[in-house]
Amino acid sequence: MSFKRFDAEDLVIASEAVSAPVWSTGEPILTTFFTSSVQPNLESGKFYYDVYQTGSTLDISAVQFSIAYADLDGSGSAPYNSAVAGKAPSSTIYGQYRSLILGDEESSFSFGGVTQEYFYALAIDRDRFKESLLPASFNLTLKNTSNRALYLTDNSANGTPVVFNDAGRVYQVVSGSNGVAYTGVNANGYTTASGSYGLFLPDVGIILLNGAALDITGTAEGIALGTTRGNTAAANPAKLYQVITSGSAFQLSYKETVTSQFVFARVRNSEYNYSTNPSYITGTGDLKISSMLDTPQTYITSVGMYNDNNELLAVAKLSRPLLKDFTKEALIRIKLDF
Amino acid sequence: MGYLNNSVVTVDAILTKKGRELLARGDGSFRITQFALSDDEIDYTLYNTSHPSGSAYYGEAIEAMPLLEAFPDETQIMKYKLTTLPRGTARLPVLATKSTVVLKQGQSEAITPQTLNYLGGNQTFETSGYTFTIADARVASIFQGVGINTEEANRLNTTTTLGTNVSKTVIGTSLNITSTTVNTLFGTNTQLQTTLTIIGRDSGARVTIPVTITRVNQ
Repeated sequence: MSFKRFDAEDLVIASEAVSAPVWSTGEPILTTFFTSSVQPNLESGKFYYDVYQTGSTLDISAVQFSIAYADLDGSGSAPYNSAVAGKAPSSTIYGQYRSLILGDEESSFSFGGVTQEYFYALAIDRDRFKESLLPASFNLTLKNTSNRALYLTDNSANGTPVVFNDAGRVYQVVSGSNGVAYTGVNANGYTTASGSYGLFLPDVGIILLNGAALDITGTAEGIALGTTRGNTAAANPAKLYQVITSGSAFQLSYKETVTSQFVFARVRNSEYNYSTNPSYITGTGDLKISSMLDTPQTYITSVGMYNDNNELLAVAKLSRPLLKDFTKEALIRIKLDF
Repeated sequence: MGYLNNSVVTVDAILTKKGRELLARGDGSFRITQFALSDDEIDYTLYNTSHPSGSAYYGEAIEAMPLLEAFPDETQIMKYKLTTLPRGTARLPVLATKSTVVLKQGQSEAITPQTLNYLGGNQTFETSGYTFTIADARVASIFQGVGINTEEANRLNTTTTLGTNVSKTVIGTSLNITSTTVNTLFGTNTQLQTTLTIIGRDSGARVTIPVTITRVNQ
């Protein structure tokens, strides 16, 4: 008398793609960047720098992405043991991304067909990118101390077939904007001799930037980043952080598939016209309002969804009471997101 | 807990604590198969049959009220269910049972509710039995429904959740409850308190009674 079984067509599963800016600010473009004064000096600072949208000590601060430097030879960071050459945090980072992205310890990173030994990795915080990054939403401005600017994007809107590797979809990072390469320097948006500017890996939330391309000096192709390679700690992530801060524009969005269950509660005119509400009946069950004897009325405020054991699994509240009597039927659509 | 914007009709849906627990259990028990409606928050004394503008306005004070968002505690929502009864019904089913349960630590009691005004009978035991829900399952070492031997009733009797104060629901024509002997739950208190909600599975009649466990072990 109180429970009504759903018919098969009353329960519908639907998936919907949702996209939104990655950043905690909710804005499409992150314009200010902060690092902690503590984290770079900790053990983790040898491997990566965390970047926040506000001062890291503020309550609202949250890591937006991390910058790591990777080098096949372990250059750019001090070795773990001076007697063991080539084993340093930067080589650990290189191996980490090689395992994750290439899936083969014998492979080397190739940017636009040119093999390179070192790169920078921007790892977007998991809470920010949700499920995957949205191709063609990536726009990053890098600017050096000479005010030379480089505008980077992925080449997803160029119409070339999507390439896949162990990390899912792979797009080249090129000079341009909104997924389209700028062809004023080179037709494909790459550098002339150092390949593309990196790899955009939307399914793992990672952007690799080709260090050799950023280091190019004397032409419009690079920004003379000045990556230091040697057996000493060089704080290369700080150099990339500096040009990102000066560029003051990092645009990125995520794409997420939200699976929802739609539940349709159908109430016929003859159903649910009496209430067990204590203000509706007396302690012995008599109706308190005499007019309800002829024209019983109730007000629906909640829909409870139960399993076969009558356990309340989910509940839906209406924003205002819905009048129900023997002359009215109701159809209530409820959306449950998972 | 905030109010819902009632300038438009919307539906705010959430999983209950029990729903999240069963979803995490992953054994298929999170499967929505039926629904019920309730009129929680409605005070029918606001229904004004003397309204000068006539019967169309009797419910004016109720229809204008803003409603609160849903609570995740399944024992605090869907309290007053709407029921389907023939037109002209003058008396609704109500449950007759103890008005309170007071147990000492380790003490047992059997609770057998009856339904009044149901199917023309003065006092009836419902065929499908009753749903017994204790709000804090930790206070009972035994909480078992008896008299209904369906698969679902047996499964509920054997299901346990460790650690937290989630509710527990069993099905039966009567309930066997034994209070906890664990001193730790009491802390520095001499009593534990929770509620027992009984719902007629056929009639939808409901009653909630307070449960008090008195400490005896020191």
